[in-house]
Amino acid sequence: MKITQQSTENSLTLSLDGELDASSSVVLDTELSKPEILRNQKVLINCRQLNYISSAGLGVFISHLQRFQDAGVKLVFFNMQEKVHNVFEILGLDSLMTIVPSEAEATAI
Amino acid sequence: MSSAQKLNAFLLPLSILSWLGLLACTLLYAHPTLLEPTVAVPNWLLLLMQAVFTATVFIQERSRSDRLRGLNFIGLLRQLVLGPGLLATACVGLHLLQQLIQNKLPSTGSLTYTVIYTVNVALFVVLLARTNYAWRSLVLFRSTNRLRSLWTWFEVLLGITLLLRLFTWTLPYELGTALLGVLAAFGAYISSHQKWVAYLNRHQKLEAVLLQLAVIIGMGVFVFYFLQAKHDPELVAPATQNAFLLLNAFFAGFYALMGLLVTFFNLPTAGVFEQKREEILKLQRLTQLIQRGQSSREIYQMFFESSVQTVDADAAWLELDPGTEEEYEGQYYHILPEQAQAIQHLLADYNLGHIEYLNNDLLNSSGFRNLNLAYGSLIVMPLRSSKRQYGALYMLKEPTQSFDRENLSILQTFASQTVLSIENLQLMQASLDTQRVQDELKIASAVQDSLIPKNLPIDNWFEISSHALAATEVGGDFYDFLHLPGRRLAVLIGDVSGKGVTAAFHVAQMKGIFHALMQENPLARNEREKFPVPSKFMAQANTALARCLEKAAFITASLYIIDYEHGGFVFARAGHCHTLYYHSIKEEVSYFRTAGLGLGIIRNEGYEKHIKNQFYDYNPGDVMVIYTDGIVEARGADQEEYGEDRLRQMLERTYYLDADEIKEQILTDLNEFSKGQPMHDDQTLLVIKFKASQPEPSV
Repeated sequence: MKITQQSTENSLTLSLDGELDASSSVVLDTELSKPEILRNQKVLINCRQLNYISSAGLGVFISHLQRFQDAGVKLVFFNMQEKVHNVFEILGLDSLMTIVPSEAEATAI
Repeated sequence: MSSAQKLNAFLLPLSILSWLGLLACTLLYAHPTLLEPTVAVPNWLLLLMQAVFTATVFIQERSRSDRLRGLNFIGLLRQLVLGPGLLATACVGLHLLQQLIQNKLPSTGSLTYTVIYTVNVALFVVLLARTNYAWRSLVLFRSTNRLRSLWTWFEVLLGITLLLRLFTWTLPYELGTALLGVLAAFGAYISSHQKWVAYLNRHQKLEAVLLQLAVIIGMGVFVFYFLQAKHDPELVAPATQNAFLLLNAFFAGFYALMGLLVTFFNLPTAGVFEQKREEILKLQRLTQLIQRGQSSREIYQMFFESSVQTVDADAAWLELDPGTEEEYEGQYYHILPEQAQAIQHLLADYNLGHIEYLNNDLLNSSGFRNLNLAYGSLIVMPLRSSKRQYGALYMLKEPTQSFDRENLSILQTFASQTVLSIENLQLMQASLDTQRVQDELKIASAVQDSLIPKNLPIDNWFEISSHALAATEVGGDFYDFLHLPGRRLAVLIGDVSGKGVTAAFHVAQMKGIFHALMQENPLARNEREKFPVPSKFMAQANTALARCLEKAAFITASLYIIDYEHGGFVFARAGHCHTLYYHSIKEEVSYFRTAGLGLGIIRNEGYEKHIKNQFYDYNPGDVMVIYTDGIVEARGADQEEYGEDRLRQMLERTYYLDADEIKEQILTDLNEFSKGQPMHDDQTLLVIKFKASQPEPSV
């Protein structure tokens, strides 16, 4: 799992590359737990290279969802592969989280 | 009876017979006029009798089992001395008796003399055989194959000499002497093998010297007797028979003499051997301490005491690094802790703390002189492994130059053995702890196993088949059934995120929640409210879980309430895998793609909005496949997932079979797909088939 960060004035884009399993989700959790991340208006997650997400990976997003909402930070997923989207959908997360097809739509929100 | 035993049974009578023959021959030889008419006994017959007697005695002794028991050399020598000692006494006694009789009764004297002489010959032969084979045990002790074959050759040569005595009149004197010389040299060479002496301690060596002296004296008595007899005017036998006996006596005596000398010259070194032996024994004891699984405290104490004794230190102390050992903080021998601390501080100042260090001239250092301690030599031996440092041993002696390289190397051995013991002990402790955890996991696994319903609901209106397999000892998957009044059945399936013990706890919790919420509500106003509908159940379960589920954990579940009186079911899906369904009327397999959020994701009243009930009227022949993600996410050889599509195709092929057969076919296909791949997640699979038979009218 590789996580690359790209920061603009009021948004942060995290690009996930590889499989988000029990061990790599710890790394992601560390990134999302940083206090300064809440200074952004938006946190965009680029899922183009995300091939697999385990329940531990989903747990990381779930555990930060409330915190982001309380701080008024939008969490937006984009470029999500079909099978990963399916996992979000089965769990019902698509109704809670913003998942859009492209980066352009993600930045427009 | 073995052939050797048969031979022995035959040899004893033969040797007795031959001795009687020898007695008769000797008597007739010495006193030809004893019988009427006069019988002239030829030399060769007499010699033949003696040769047969000697040969049988030697062969008997040879075929005996080795008299040497382990390393009990002294016992062997004692036995030997007791034998010849008695024989020699008997010999001298007989000789004296004979002289007594001879003086009183000169006329019959020569006849008695002959008998006693023959008895003495027999005694000597027995003594020689015993000694010969006792020496064999010693010579061949831990010997090479070469020496063994040399010994056999030596025996063969001795045998030939024995035979040659029979034809002595044909052998030139020079040749006979040469042969004897060769044999003697051979015997001398063999006598030089005295390996056993090294295994004796000082006390045993002294005893060995005395015993060997006794053997030589015993041998000497006989030799003296026969030499006397040879020159006796009343010579009773041909002189030639002596040669064999003398040759053998020479070898026996020579070996005893060599052994005596070797033992004697080894006496001064016995102390060194004993010290080495003591060191080895201490090392062994140190090693055994580990095997007996004793405490590290005992190992340190053993190390300390062994070192102090071995080096013979005047003062010593063992310093363990803080935090190394809880129950043992080192010990002092003939030194005060303050003095020890002072020396350690001094060493630390010189940057010599906790390294291997030998100083034989402490008084040369001004620092040590200032401490005003009466010690001249110091050794520091650290206790450390490649991983960590445990402490160090300090030993002092009053004279200067009193430690040497030898001391250092034996201490090194002790130290490394001690560290090995300590680390072994720690490993053992760790493995015991792991074992305990594993045992507890086994119990947890058994407890969880007991939570899985063993008796599936049986009714002629449906068939249920189930399969559950956990990836680790305890799993996060669960399913359960509950009969509700009015021919209704509640089926729950679910999966706790994560694995292991935490997940297993939540499984038990979910089962508790299921049974608690599915109780009849006595305050219900109508029939429908007596039991919660699935969406209500999920909302209540979500509230119950909200407080105890850790932040990143969630649970997916589906609850089905099947009303088989009316042929319908209602279900709610809380983020769990979609239900696969075969519609017998439409002849179509599809998933119920309903919305629904997993439990524990939203932990407030807002959850209820995200969960829906779905009603469905089923028909006979319909099949419902309920499963966890361990089934559809099982990986194949190329890391591909089994997937919903494959599962759907399997049901399309098998829907007409029994529930059990459908389940088996799906599992076979799944196992074929993920063959050789590790199991990542728990797998649960339930197949429910609604049957065509009509329900019995309710009572």
